[in-house]
Amino acid sequence: MSSFHNLQELRHSASLANKVFIQRDYSEGTTCRFQTKFPSELESRIERTLFEDTVKTLNNFYAEAEKIGGQSYLEGCLACATAYLIFLCMETRYEKVLKKIAKYIQEQNEKIYAPRGLLITDPIERGMRVIEISIYEDRGSSGSSSGSSSVSDSTAR
Amino acid sequence: MPASGADSLKPSAFIPVCTAACLLVGSTSMFFVFTCPWLAVTICPAVPPCCAVLFLFVLANFTMATFMDAGVLPVAGEDEDKEDEFRAPLYKNVEVKGVQVRMKWCASCHFYRPPRCSHCSVCDRCVEDFDHHCPWVNNCIGRRNYRYFFLFLLSLTVHMVAVFTFGLIYVLHHMDDLWKLHCLVTLVVISISGLFLIPVLGLTGFHLYLVSRGRTTNEQVTGKFQGGINPFTRGCCSNMEYLVCSPLSPTYTSRPCQKTAVHVRPPFLRPEVDRQMPGKVRGNGIQTLATQNKQSSAGAVELSDIKQLRNPPPLPPKPDRGLLKSQVAVMDDVGHYTKSIIPVSIPTVPQLRPVLEAISRGSSPIPPEQLLKASEQQVTSKGPDLCSDSRESPVRGGVSVQAALQPCTVSSSLQLNSLTLSSRGLTLKHGSRNGSKTQLLSMNPDGLGSNSPAGILTGSSLLAGQCSSGGGGSNKPSYDSLVNPADPQLMAHRGAPAVSYHTHFMALGSDGVVQRPPPHSYSPVFMGVARQSPQPRESASRDPSPSLPGFLQRDSSPAYHGLITRDVQSQSVASRDVPPPGLVMRDVTSQGLQDNLRDLYPHDATLPMSAAARYDNFSKTIMASIQERREQEERERMVRVGARSQVLYGPDVGIYDIPSRRSLPPDNGRPPGSRGPTPPAYGSREFLMSTGILGYGMRTSPLSCSSTSSLTRGPKTSSSPLQSSSSSLQSKGRSSSPAYCPAERHAQAPPSTTTLPRLASSAYPAPPYTSYATAKRSSLPFPSEGKESVTLGALK
Repeated sequence: MSSFHNLQELRHSASLANKVFIQRDYSEGTTCRFQTKFPSELESRIERTLFEDTVKTLNNFYAEAEKIGGQSYLEGCLACATAYLIFLCMETRYEKVLKKIAKYIQEQNEKIYAPRGLLITDPIERGMRVIEISIYEDRGSSGSSSGSSSVSDSTAR
Repeated sequence: MPASGADSLKPSAFIPVCTAACLLVGSTSMFFVFTCPWLAVTICPAVPPCCAVLFLFVLANFTMATFMDAGVLPVAGEDEDKEDEFRAPLYKNVEVKGVQVRMKWCASCHFYRPPRCSHCSVCDRCVEDFDHHCPWVNNCIGRRNYRYFFLFLLSLTVHMVAVFTFGLIYVLHHMDDLWKLHCLVTLVVISISGLFLIPVLGLTGFHLYLVSRGRTTNEQVTGKFQGGINPFTRGCCSNMEYLVCSPLSPTYTSRPCQKTAVHVRPPFLRPEVDRQMPGKVRGNGIQTLATQNKQSSAGAVELSDIKQLRNPPPLPPKPDRGLLKSQVAVMDDVGHYTKSIIPVSIPTVPQLRPVLEAISRGSSPIPPEQLLKASEQQVTSKGPDLCSDSRESPVRGGVSVQAALQPCTVSSSLQLNSLTLSSRGLTLKHGSRNGSKTQLLSMNPDGLGSNSPAGILTGSSLLAGQCSSGGGGSNKPSYDSLVNPADPQLMAHRGAPAVSYHTHFMALGSDGVVQRPPPHSYSPVFMGVARQSPQPRESASRDPSPSLPGFLQRDSSPAYHGLITRDVQSQSVASRDVPPPGLVMRDVTSQGLQDNLRDLYPHDATLPMSAAARYDNFSKTIMASIQERREQEERERMVRVGARSQVLYGPDVGIYDIPSRRSLPPDNGRPPGSRGPTPPAYGSREFLMSTGILGYGMRTSPLSCSSTSSLTRGPKTSSSPLQSSSSSLQSKGRSSSPAYCPAERHAQAPPSTTTLPRLASSAYPAPPYTSYATAKRSSLPFPSEGKESVTLGALK
């Protein structure tokens, strides 16, 4: 058994088996929010609380990014005043939050999801429509191919 | 200007924007050159600078409106909509602040358009918060650049008013020198500005109204919220505030990819879930079970897994997925819209349970659909777990067979004698148990802990081997015969074009028993039967024949019962190595089981296979009657149940297509062939019929309009409407056919859909279109393999 595992590790045999798409939650309008409902495909792969934490954190990030408040006023005024040339130099607030989100997702993937054979794709790559979670199967120990190509990283298509 | 979209790149598309730009810049320049000096002197020196600033603002907004990405949504990848291609509803309802909003499927972009999103035909892209496509800036106006467009309009209006006013003042003051250059130019300028002021003013006023009402041009023009409530408005002031002060949304396209790869390597952690927990986590036990099953299949299918999974309802995940999908469809209203790509997994023990049962019952290959149906019945009746039951079910019917049977402990070792006997016992035992309600005679009680698939497999293989060995009466079938009979079925279970007859055995083989690809054999029983001399068959046929018609006439008892009885009989026939016991068994069985058999409904699902297995044993007339009966009931069943398994066991080797949840009829008996068995709220045909098709879809794609289903999305590739119609029709016809084969976008070719005809036909209802094919096919398997079941084929 241990040798079998070693073989697997050597072969990096994890193959993409499935993808779960967490859809947007439009109940509060078009503000960016994702559903926190736990998909059934992940029932046996990750704890519910972990998943919900991740989605809630992402939702909070997006809410922070889209908040209309002092910083967004300032940004708008500055942009108008400089004839929007400021956008060439400065990063918008939303972009800053997006970077935070990307970092957070990367960290979540490394710490929580990849060890469980899952990978989260940043929603921005899907137009903020879905959170794509790739489910990988342990191809090595299964003894049979899952039929899909082996993917070992989370880079988006 | 966006680079995408053929229309926007046409030269003619640039004419309005160039005209607008030229007019704007040219007129203003003239104004500054010819009019402003006098204004600065006469009226106020601050006039030109203010005008200049204003003009700069106009230009900036004009530039932003022209060149900024409006919020174009990237086209969805194939994974996302793989299962939504056919038979998916055109509309999906979602609730926004209490108001039902319809999301339409975009055939070009392959996703359901978010609320307020619309597809721009000029840019050929879906745009978020789509307002309109403005020809004057040659760009879509959407979420990201609506502010700039609005400010452009506003500032342009003010600018034009200013230019017109100041020019008029100038002209009025220079009425004497009207024909001087300065005056002439100013006259031209004010005439241009005056001329264009009216439409621009109108447009500005219109957009002011829209902003105050919280609507987009698109929504206003299509009258979306005319009579109802607009859930997207925040109130007039808040809308203004949102318009001006909201943060700039990010662009979705052309983003720098700065990710570092995260490597996913097994072994994977698993959550500490109680595997014995019944699948009722979220009120949908099927899903949980399916997930559990899927997970358990991820690793090697071990005996321990069987024990662990004892308690969950013994639903085979494949049919469960169909239910799962349909239920997910229902849940979409509130739950997430999970679009899973084809999950590929090894059949788990729960999945194989029906197979195991079939095998244990005498290794007669049960058609997948029969087994699934049987297991479905089990599920619906909450039948006890296979493993546990097999262990517990007492021997019913003291058949002398028991004497010959020995408990078969869980072991994958090929202890032929004991396994042979135990397999027989398993057959009987499992048969009775599978019935779960019937009182089948179970021959072998205890010790049949050999619920392990390996044990069962070997047992069945052994039995098969025995059958196939023929003659001899040797109790030791060759390993080849042992292995081979199982292989076809195992492979078939994989969705190979092999006869689905062997599906379960193949699945079992995948559990870890290395199986060679089967020879061309059909079923072990068949093989054995074929090779047996007619003598025993005849003798055997005589005895069970009376009961067989009785079986056939039964209706609704689980398949296993009939199967068991038949297996017993066939075993007695096939196992020439133990002829006397076999005969005795048979006699006793047939006698003792008469009454029980009456109660048993030889499940039609099992009838074809097991009955066919014995066809050679029995007289031709009996076979004919059996055959007719079987087909009859098969057809009945197919009409009743959806061909769910057809989708589950897709034609792709190693890939189990997950049917769209919408395409899988739930157990409450949707009409077969119902195209998208989605709840009406989804804007399915029923919904639209009832509510009337609303004219939201200014962008209805020809595909969606012309598809026969009228609400299905049509094929992925932009085929002609006719093609989409035919494909959707085909898809409809094969309601459960795996329309999601990645390679087969369009309707499935008949061979592929009928790869597992029996699986679908017997176990689940299929639309008449499919049922015909499947019914036809179901009768073919035996003769198709060119084996002894030629009689069967002749009967067909």
